[in-house]
Amino acid sequence: MLAVELVDIWKRFPGVVANAGATLGVRSGSVHAVLGENGAGKSTLMNVLAGVYQPDEGSVVLNGEPQRFASPADAIACGVGMVHQEFRLIPTFTVTENVVLGAAPTRLDRGSLRAQVGELAERFGLLTDPGRPVWQLSMGERQRVEILKALWRDASVLILDEPTAVLTPGEAVELGRVTRAMADDGRSVIFISHKLDEVTAFCDEATVMRGGATVAASLPVGELDASRLAELMVGQATAVSQRRQRAAQVDGEQSPALVVRDLRVRDVHGRAVVDDVSLDVRPGEIVGIAGVAGNGQRPLADAIAGLSPAEHGQVVVADADLSTASPAARSAAGLSYVPEDRLGVGLAPRLDAVENAVMRSYRRFARRRIVDRAASRAHTEGLIDRYRVKVARMDAPLAGLSGGNLQRLLVGRELDEKPTVVVAAQPTRGLDVQGVAAIQQILLDQSAAGVAVLLISEDLDELLALSDRLLVMHGGAVVASFDPDDADRTAIGAAMAGAVSTEGVS
Amino acid sequence: MGLRLARRESPVRGGQVLAFAVGLLAALVVGAALLAMSGHAPIEVYRSMFDAALGSPRGWSATLTRAVPLGLAGLAVAIAGSMGLWNIGAEGQIIAGAIGGAWVARLAPDLAGPALIPLMLLAAVAGGAALALGPAIARARLGVNEIITTLMLNEVAIRIVRYLVNGPWKDPDGNNFPVAPVLPEQSGLPTLFERSNIGVVIAAVVVIGVGWYAARSTWGYELRIAGSSERAAEYVGISLKAKLFSVLVVSGAIAGLAGGIELTGSSTRLVEGVANGYGFAGIIVAALALMRPSGVAAVAIAFGAVQIGGESIQTQGVPSAISNLLQALILFGALAAAVWVNYRVVRTGRSVEGGAGSAAAAGAGA
Amino acid sequence: MSTETVLGLLVSVIEFATLLYLAALGETIAEKSGVLNLGVEGMMAFGGMAAFWAGVETGNPWLALVVGAGSAMAFSMIHGVVAVVLGADQVVSGLALTILGLGLAAFLGESLIVEAPRARFDTLDLGPLADIPWIGETLFSMSAVSWLALFAGVVTWFVFTRTHAGLKLRAVGENAAAADAVGTSVTRVRLMAVGIGGAFAGASGAYLTLALAPGWTEGTTAGRGWIAVALVIFGAWQPGRVLLGSVLFGGLIALEPRLQTFGVEISPILVSMLPYLLTILAMVLLSIRSRNRPSAAPAAIGRPFRREER
Repeated sequence: MLAVELVDIWKRFPGVVANAGATLGVRSGSVHAVLGENGAGKSTLMNVLAGVYQPDEGSVVLNGEPQRFASPADAIACGVGMVHQEFRLIPTFTVTENVVLGAAPTRLDRGSLRAQVGELAERFGLLTDPGRPVWQLSMGERQRVEILKALWRDASVLILDEPTAVLTPGEAVELGRVTRAMADDGRSVIFISHKLDEVTAFCDEATVMRGGATVAASLPVGELDASRLAELMVGQATAVSQRRQRAAQVDGEQSPALVVRDLRVRDVHGRAVVDDVSLDVRPGEIVGIAGVAGNGQRPLADAIAGLSPAEHGQVVVADADLSTASPAARSAAGLSYVPEDRLGVGLAPRLDAVENAVMRSYRRFARRRIVDRAASRAHTEGLIDRYRVKVARMDAPLAGLSGGNLQRLLVGRELDEKPTVVVAAQPTRGLDVQGVAAIQQILLDQSAAGVAVLLISEDLDELLALSDRLLVMHGGAVVASFDPDDADRTAIGAAMAGAVSTEGVS
Repeated sequence: MGLRLARRESPVRGGQVLAFAVGLLAALVVGAALLAMSGHAPIEVYRSMFDAALGSPRGWSATLTRAVPLGLAGLAVAIAGSMGLWNIGAEGQIIAGAIGGAWVARLAPDLAGPALIPLMLLAAVAGGAALALGPAIARARLGVNEIITTLMLNEVAIRIVRYLVNGPWKDPDGNNFPVAPVLPEQSGLPTLFERSNIGVVIAAVVVIGVGWYAARSTWGYELRIAGSSERAAEYVGISLKAKLFSVLVVSGAIAGLAGGIELTGSSTRLVEGVANGYGFAGIIVAALALMRPSGVAAVAIAFGAVQIGGESIQTQGVPSAISNLLQALILFGALAAAVWVNYRVVRTGRSVEGGAGSAAAAGAGA
Repeated sequence: MSTETVLGLLVSVIEFATLLYLAALGETIAEKSGVLNLGVEGMMAFGGMAAFWAGVETGNPWLALVVGAGSAMAFSMIHGVVAVVLGADQVVSGLALTILGLGLAAFLGESLIVEAPRARFDTLDLGPLADIPWIGETLFSMSAVSWLALFAGVVTWFVFTRTHAGLKLRAVGENAAAADAVGTSVTRVRLMAVGIGGAFAGASGAYLTLALAPGWTEGTTAGRGWIAVALVIFGAWQPGRVLLGSVLFGGLIALEPRLQTFGVEISPILVSMLPYLLTILAMVLLSIRSRNRPSAAPAAIGRPFRREER
């Protein structure tokens, strides 16, 4: 009998069908991978299993018993635990308090609870200090706390939603051991990923999803190979998975449009999160930056855009030194930025489409500090038309738009300023397949038109497909450079893991 | 089986006006019940309230005069609110404005009216701004929550004016009442009609002008960006600290002006109760105007009518507290109704047999 | 300065501290769950009016206290429904609750103004303890309500730090989504916290109209509810520190009418500003101190919670 059966699950959100007949079967005592591209509906399906969402149609069956979960509490009561991508921890609480919350005796004996949590952690090899407040922990440690939460509730089914995205390679291997220990203990682990190597290393079986539906169920991982998996995940081999045609000839003699020299940024704790980074991007060139999340990509992008101050270093755009310029001055000098945090940084969710569309250019539409409404509306209509943004109402808050439309609006707004340099951070993350393709095409068109593009992504395939040069960041520094045409994935992976020894770096 | 709120894809069109109407209706019904309970005839009371506030030029005059402090306080709150800030301190800033105005009158009691009045109003603006200065600096430089600091300063301001009228500024000829001396005669605002003075015109110009400016200017637009997302504001090159500071000080200045107009228009001397709750009522006015400066004027007139009506019926033995009651009830009704503008109620989970089919149907139909 | 005047001051300090602590403790509980309730002043007035009415009707102070607490609890549910269930803005809803409470108390209590108080609390007879000099005449002679407030503070501290219920309450106030994810009903916890806060505010109002200033008049709460709101922040959301703050602020209030007796030539009105100014000062200091770590304030305060937002 299967520990988990999800049958023909449908789930719709305003404007999106996230699950369209998805199916999943998981044996007890196994580690089961759920694979799929971003936007394939993996997270939604898992949230249905974990009681976060109620399916519009379809059934959830645990050990042969049909279930209807009205809330996560119901799912937990039936032994389903989930570790979400964004952790749900309380920073001011200790590890123990976070673990036992919601499943503790009426009267808390803190000493004995701490000992019990410590024991449980030890049993599964989850190294942590039960007495420390969570805000002091690293991302890897926080993930262990989340796993402990599920184990504390004696979860027989544990869902890990893209668990390795926040981990260092060493921590990822550690996680593999933990999941195996849990499976050996008779539990089922569902491991969501889009990375083949992890799946073959950690899992027993794999289910592949595409466009909200299951395209291959419970394949033994031994039978998986890269090309078959890619085909399953992406459908027919698309332009995306192929190396792009070099659109513009990058002239090595031409002077770079973006020059970054010895840029260093420290976080609030004084750590150098960007550590003396230097790079050049020439007109018409796409330079990709690869790396495990949290290795300085985001602060690097923010510092180039002027959003966070650099301790030292230079940023030069089209021969203009912008090292100390404000974000607006950098923008005016031809630098456009597509930030990772779309709704928080790039767009203002409570404002309407027009107000968002002119955020970069409103000063142009103002005379004596009064904004010309007709002109800004016309500008917005132009953007919406050119970048195919679907907007129901121009005067409604933007919060209701889908991720793909938000990104099109944001990217369109940034590129419409006729930049010489574009810094794009995770521009395709969380988008559906068409959305990804559309954004990638826009970036390719820009580079063909002579714009210098710095592309930061956690999706190595995307980087390999789009970049002319690929840089790898680790620990805040650029540790390696590759030519995507003859790059060895293993070598890139090793560089991402920090296994490249450069002089002066131990 | 439960009920849950789900966000609508786009807000109900014209829903806000409807929400206000629902709030008003709910308030009138609850108010009627309370009146009936305490032995008054609700319809009669409402009718005489309406007559007193809107049934004659005299009533309109009183209502519009009352709408002046309510509108200015509401504007003060709404301006800060458009950046997502709460100025709960309008009450204190009105007092500070009145103190500023009275201070000028003390310094230059012999100045001619056309010079004295503008100076008093300017001092009132400065007084309100000064009281908002502390919270503005604390918020902009240290991130100290402005809700509590402005709230605390209300209580401080009311004690300052209490101290003044009981101590250094106490009228020696005031029969030992805690009042400041009568203001120089030429400091009174010229009459417009009935008992209204040109304060109505000043307030209308400020409320409409500032409302328009906030809606159309780059300044107002930048406030809205910052109110929606601080990071987005930084990203497009808006100085958050400067905006935080300027909007709180402007907000205080507008409330201060209300104090100045109250002093020079509606009263003859500085008294402890000069703010009379207008600052708090202004918060309700702004909330009902959905924090849009452009909506403040209409709500302020409506609230002015409720207040004047409520005060008029004391003579019939109805406690004047009914007007406060009605104002709060209107807001609660409107707050509840406003949820419906952005959300719809859906049923959730746990239907027992045949649940899958019916849930699916509900899901598809929703 | 005589022993009498000092003893009188100390007794008065305890009385005002009791009044403030009851209300501030209730607000602490509500805010710990993530709900800012600026309706304290209104709940105090409403509860105080109801308690006074019950005291006049029954002559039983304890029954009157229960009526005061219960009616304020019921009244606080307006904020509960509007701000917690419907998720409207907590600041607006709380302020409207104050305006409504003051208005409702004035409206319904109109006929009570002429009534003479009938129900009074006794001091708890602690036998020989009350004969100890100084302490016996002040601490051990204080009203049973003061003991009750102190006891409530200890219970609250215990619940916050030593029970699962307290852990859940704090979790809801820190990160509602995290608490929800482990099966805690955010709405229920917050409603209960608001209700308990309302009951405490009502008890405080009852103590005011039955014991501290027996009788009912409009405006009898005189801004004490705002001090209670200030105290929660001044006490950094901890029952123990809020108690210390209550004694300090209660002491300042008790000093006001006695300043001249002590030969201090400062206007009592200026002294009465101190609680508010001290609170602002405390906020500034707290914000400077907590630059690189989580602040003492419940992180989710003022934020309505709704599941399944996408």
